Amino acid sequence: MKALDIIHDANANLWRSKLRSFLTILAIFVGSFTIILNSAINAGVNDFLDKQIANMGGDGYLEMMPAEAYDSFASMISTSGPQEYTEDKDSTNQTAYIKDEQIEKAKKIKGVKVFNVLPNASADYITSDKIEKRYRLNLNLVVDGIDFDMSHGETPNTAEDADYEIAVNEDLAKVLGYDNVADIVGKTVKIAVPSTLKCYTAIKRSECHTIVEAKVSGTQAPGILSMGGSRANLALWKRINAINYEGMPAETNRSYQATADVDPDRVKEIQKELEEIGLKSMSVEDEVGMFQSFFDAILIVFNIFGGIALVAASIGIINTLFMSVQERTREIGLDKALGMSNSKVFLSFSTEAIMLGFWGSTFGILVSMIVGNVVNKVAIETFLKDFPTFQLTIFEPMTMISIALIIMFIAFLAGTLPARRASKKNPIDALRYE
Amino acid sequence: MKNVLLSTRGLKKVYGKRDSKFEALKGIDIDIESGESVAITGKSGSGKSTLMHLLALLDQPSEGTIKLNGKNTSKLKQRKLNRLRNKEFGFVFQSFFMNTNDTVINNVILPLKIAGIRRGERRKRAMAALETVELGDKYKNKANDLSGGQKQRVCIARAIVNNPKVIFADEPTGNLDSATGAKIEELLFNLNREKGITLIIVTHDEELATKCGRQIHIADGKVIGDGKGVAKHDPSFIEDENLDGIRDKNHTKEIDVEEE
Repeated sequence: MKALDIIHDANANLWRSKLRSFLTILAIFVGSFTIILNSAINAGVNDFLDKQIANMGGDGYLEMMPAEAYDSFASMISTSGPQEYTEDKDSTNQTAYIKDEQIEKAKKIKGVKVFNVLPNASADYITSDKIEKRYRLNLNLVVDGIDFDMSHGETPNTAEDADYEIAVNEDLAKVLGYDNVADIVGKTVKIAVPSTLKCYTAIKRSECHTIVEAKVSGTQAPGILSMGGSRANLALWKRINAINYEGMPAETNRSYQATADVDPDRVKEIQKELEEIGLKSMSVEDEVGMFQSFFDAILIVFNIFGGIALVAASIGIINTLFMSVQERTREIGLDKALGMSNSKVFLSFSTEAIMLGFWGSTFGILVSMIVGNVVNKVAIETFLKDFPTFQLTIFEPMTMISIALIIMFIAFLAGTLPARRASKKNPIDALRYE
Repeated sequence: MKNVLLSTRGLKKVYGKRDSKFEALKGIDIDIESGESVAITGKSGSGKSTLMHLLALLDQPSEGTIKLNGKNTSKLKQRKLNRLRNKEFGFVFQSFFMNTNDTVINNVILPLKIAGIRRGERRKRAMAALETVELGDKYKNKANDLSGGQKQRVCIARAIVNNPKVIFADEPTGNLDSATGAKIEELLFNLNREKGITLIIVTHDEELATKCGRQIHIADGKVIGDGKGVAKHDPSFIEDENLDGIRDKNHTKEIDVEEE
């Protein structure tokens, strides 16, 4: 008997008792639907978090600053959205810097692979040709080798001799006069960079500003982790640093920011050791960890529900097939009398079980995709409005296929009991059976 | 030259163990030649059905040998036995045994499907078999919609679709009225005459038995008569199931054991 015939017959046999098969498939469907939708949400959330983590430099990436400077910095990042710049309120605390001995100690900590001290660079505001207003600029450096998640355009060129380029937050792009944020890509923005020395003598702060023009290479979607900051490339960063320290002795050009690439498995320990030498650090884990573990816990609970549904469905499969074996006793006897082997009888009943699993998981995939897409659309328009890159459900074909295969395998296992009973039937007894 | 198709020596079949032990066959020696039409007769419980099951290789004897074409079948593996039944034998049963929800042609196709024959080929052969039993026009019908006689003809088509050497028929007319039964008999004997298919019919219908070329009469697990025209003179035919009470002592004992 050929494989195709077995599959064809198994399917035909299922539809002989339509209601019974349908109900069994429905039970499998409930389990597979739950698990598939869960995995899609899991994929969606993880994809979103991965993008956020990549934006921050990956799992082993640490940003740090002297503990004294941390407080003022923390107050800066806690504000949400672009804020209008006002001259008298804003000045940068540059008294705290990373000392040479701290650098030496930090480099010796086990698990620290790369330790970079960032030159100091601060700008007062950003504006464009399109607007009169000026907006406070919170500047970060584009770290080389990290793939940023850009909503439009590209990551700024990290080469040392590149043109001045900057990536801005979408919210900032809007207030800079680009309602359609994609339009800002390739346009020039103006950045006011203070020269520390000149500012001491200036009557108005604007007198000590040098306006630097930079090209917007791309925009970033606002995310839970992008700290509302814009990202300058190294060339722009160095130019700003040079203006900041114009005319000052070289030893005053100090850093109060450092980044490190560390062993992802020792992040917590390294952070503790850094704190002991007076460096306050932030890891990606700090930002994402809580959120992720909370989410994982919810998904585990739902997956348990799905699992329980599948166990119940498996019992349904066993029951259905036992009834089927009972009803078809004479048919099995005839098949055997006509030369069908025990293994083929076993195979045809297990194929029926697998077909139940196949239909259950196929409907599970289809319906969860429909539901998932509807939920996605609703979510983007409502509670995820602020996170346009957040796709709540992502259906990865490989994941779907492997879930379906696992469910079919579970169905097969459930089917082995009745299939074994069928294969063990004696043809003579089976033919006598009334 | 004689061409012995099936040959048994010292064939015994024992059911149960110890106290409930029951000897259904007590040593059967028969030779069936190719192309013969044989009736195995005897009343219910005589062991005639057991003998047929053993001859058809559906069951294993407790003792003794069955040779098919001179080959000892007891040494064959299950897989080979399945193949033999599939290729060399055809079966017709009293209560048809067909998938009544399926179409006529799908019922006929079954042995070919089990043999793993391609779709086109098996359809062609099934249609030819249906033409032989004059049901070619009904191939699309549901088996359930057929009359009893038509059902049995479909079963005969199923039995001949693999061009078997032997057809085993277990009370083929038992569920049919005499007119329809006669037609089925004619069909079976035609196959025997024209295609040389060996016919082994298990029956307690005297008329049907006498139409066969040879009658083997079984009683109490033994052959008590074998040859042309034996059945006619066999006293046990008088005591059919519906004629209770005229049993001889031997037979009463046998019934008792069976009822245990």
